[in-house]
Amino acid sequence: MGIKDRLKTGIQKNLNLRYIKRLLGIIALKPVLYAYGKTFPSASDKYLNIFTIESLKKAYSDNNRPIGYGSLFIPHELFHALGITPFLPEVMAGFTAGLGLAPQTLKEASSHWYSQDLCTFHRSASGAAELDLFPRPDYIITSNLACDAAQKSFYIHSVKHNIEKNFYLIDVPYRYSEESIRYLAAQIKNICTDICSKTGKKPDISMFEETFELSNELRKWAIEVGSLRKNLADYPSHFNGLNFILPFHGLAGTREAVILYKEIYRDLKKYSDKQCKEISEKNKPAKRILWLHLKPYYRNEIFDILYRENCRVVFEEINHVYWQELDYKKPFESLARKMLSNFLGGSIDNRIGVILKAAHDYKADGAILFSHWGCRQSNGGARIIKDSLKKINIPTLVLDGDCVDQNNSSQGQVKTRLQGFIEILNS
Amino acid sequence: MTQDIRDTDNFDKTRKKINDIKFFFGNTLTSENKKAAIGWFCTYTPEELIIAGGFVPVRIFGRKKIIKSESYFPINFCPYIKSGWESLLADADNLKAIIFTNSCDGMRRFFDIASKYLDGIPSYLLDVPHLKNRDSRDFFTGNMDDMKKFIEKLKGEKINEEEIENAVKLINKKRKLLKEFSNIFYKSPDLIEIPAYYKVMELSMISDPEIFLDDLEKYLGFIGSIDKTSTKNGISLQPDQRNSPSIMIIGNFIAEDKLWEMLSKMNLKLASEDLCTSNRYFVKQVVTGDNKDLMESIAERYLNKPQCMRMADPGSKLAEIENVIIKNHIKGVIFITLKFCDNMLYSFPLLKQRLNNMGIPVLYLDIEYNNFSEGQIKTRVQAFLEML
Ligand code: SF4
Ligand code: SF4
Repeated sequence: MGIKDRLKTGIQKNLNLRYIKRLLGIIALKPVLYAYGKTFPSASDKYLNIFTIESLKKAYSDNNRPIGYGSLFIPHELFHALGITPFLPEVMAGFTAGLGLAPQTLKEASSHWYSQDLCTFHRSASGAAELDLFPRPDYIITSNLACDAAQKSFYIHSVKHNIEKNFYLIDVPYRYSEESIRYLAAQIKNICTDICSKTGKKPDISMFEETFELSNELRKWAIEVGSLRKNLADYPSHFNGLNFILPFHGLAGTREAVILYKEIYRDLKKYSDKQCKEISEKNKPAKRILWLHLKPYYRNEIFDILYRENCRVVFEEINHVYWQELDYKKPFESLARKMLSNFLGGSIDNRIGVILKAAHDYKADGAILFSHWGCRQSNGGARIIKDSLKKINIPTLVLDGDCVDQNNSSQGQVKTRLQGFIEILNS
Repeated sequence: MTQDIRDTDNFDKTRKKINDIKFFFGNTLTSENKKAAIGWFCTYTPEELIIAGGFVPVRIFGRKKIIKSESYFPINFCPYIKSGWESLLADADNLKAIIFTNSCDGMRRFFDIASKYLDGIPSYLLDVPHLKNRDSRDFFTGNMDDMKKFIEKLKGEKINEEEIENAVKLINKKRKLLKEFSNIFYKSPDLIEIPAYYKVMELSMISDPEIFLDDLEKYLGFIGSIDKTSTKNGISLQPDQRNSPSIMIIGNFIAEDKLWEMLSKMNLKLASEDLCTSNRYFVKQVVTGDNKDLMESIAERYLNKPQCMRMADPGSKLAEIENVIIKNHIKGVIFITLKFCDNMLYSFPLLKQRLNNMGIPVLYLDIEYNNFSEGQIKTRVQAFLEML
């Protein structure tokens, strides 16, 4: 049994906070961690795993208080600037799927009256929280950006830990306008001032300087990666752009995220240089797929099938860099603009704009929208997305499934539908 | 004993009459709307502005069976929205425009669908904040101003202050009378039946407010006259003496005639509610005067009315519910939600916990819309009532 499988079975058998802490204590030791890192096929995957484990170690260690739960789409630069260790329950839900723990966490959520009709990212995270698998938060910052789920489920976390007074909802307006920016910036400023008064820090814009610089650096490299991918005809089989959600959001504003995105760039660049030499030998170019929404985080065959069938995911909408550079001299306004630029907020036209441009820039032959059960905001737009892509002659497959709950996805059906779609692309 | 007096022919006759909504609301039901109508969906829509523009605000109840709608929305999507879309596909021509709100993910997508696929009928989305403080009120006032401009465009001229003032008065009066009516209903549930109560609620949201108010006033007048002559005919609006436990219903857009009939037949004593189709619509007035800015006063009313589960602060919602339970001696809660309403579904774990701590049992029901199957639900409600 390899190290990864040993980790998985270990945690499945000992599902409790103490074990998780102990495990992180061992695996995060530098030599062990780097030995573990070596088991990954590329530098970017290696760093992704190392940084993830290090950030978890930090969140689970009692010496690194304060700890803040953040929902995916809040600007995590806020936490980093305030010296708060972030912890992302939705990302953790992805891990529960990857580690095969989702059946237990989901069952626990059900016993606490979370309906099975709710998004499993939140349900699984809530189940894990109820099982006391998460570190205790000191602060919780969430928002209504993209979907209704986070603001609601995170509030329940705050009640569980008796920190309702440290629960902050960032109310993100529907439209991008100067009034919206003012309303939003004032909220972010108030949150900052309130947290500073509790942590004893002096609210001061200088604390944003370094964080914003690093965040801008991440932005720059993420754009570089995107530009490189526009002309990449092939990909290494292990590459999956949907794996980088934690650094893209949760680590934005840290050195680690910058290093990681540089590594992704280098990995793909190396591959593209190699490709240039080989390209003439290959006569059948791969079909180029644009991936919409997320993917299943448990072991599944989707990407193997696509790869085998000579289809390559050339871009994922969630990797679109939607925000402008941050200006530390106007920290609250900058973060407000970042949030308001998120294409999952407001009208579906924002999302359609990003999708159509990506379809054009990445020369997509087809699009797959992974229709994650219970995600009203994304699935509710499926019809318009499909129709909009059809207008530019790009077929879309709306693939029903669940990103976290394996039992809510029929692998057989997914396979059949995928194969049908590939036939259309090849016809 | 009141109960004995009520068991007379006279009582039955009067009860029958009181529940004849078609009779009392004849004008409301038959009047052809002379003014053009603007459709709306969510109780955070300031009707005042629609009226000030010279239009009739008509809530879309979406009484249509979901057929075409299925190809626009996923299977697991709010059935009210699907029915609403079905009815827009069929009858939107009767509307001058439609006003949506940023109430939930579902509504955002509904607005997208309507804007893309409904030809010729302008749609507008009003951004309603989730917070309830000074900043959000100011922000909301600005958004309402934008909505006003949308209506002015339809009207072809500016809406003046007096028009808004008159509309505020009108809707405030409607709220006041609806509140009076609901108090009578809670007090005397054996007199006013559940289906009749909700029928009046529905009419209040879909009719020309002036005509409806006229009918409602007469109706309340009739009910009042019974109270005054109570000694003569043996009927009075005394608190209900039945020995059944007081029930509170908490839900979202629950407008299911068959459900109301079923509960009525089961003799359920409905003593309080927290519904989008009832108290969340009419409780709380717009407070004017003292040189207060009118638009700001309207904004304040909407943000501070009995809150919907979509708002930011579930804690204050729970406290609101807890107070109602204590004040009205509620013995059991029926939580009833349309399927796939995330805001409702997420409110349940905490509500359940809170009610457990209070020793109040709660029954959880989730239902479709316009597609009510009595069987299983009846058994569950029955078992719940027996347990109480
Ligand atoms: S998958 Fe959809 S519903 Fe779930 S957290 Fe993400 S955006 Fe919200
Ligand atoms: S019932 Fe729920 S999902 Fe449906 S419109 Fe209302 S808040 Fe939205």
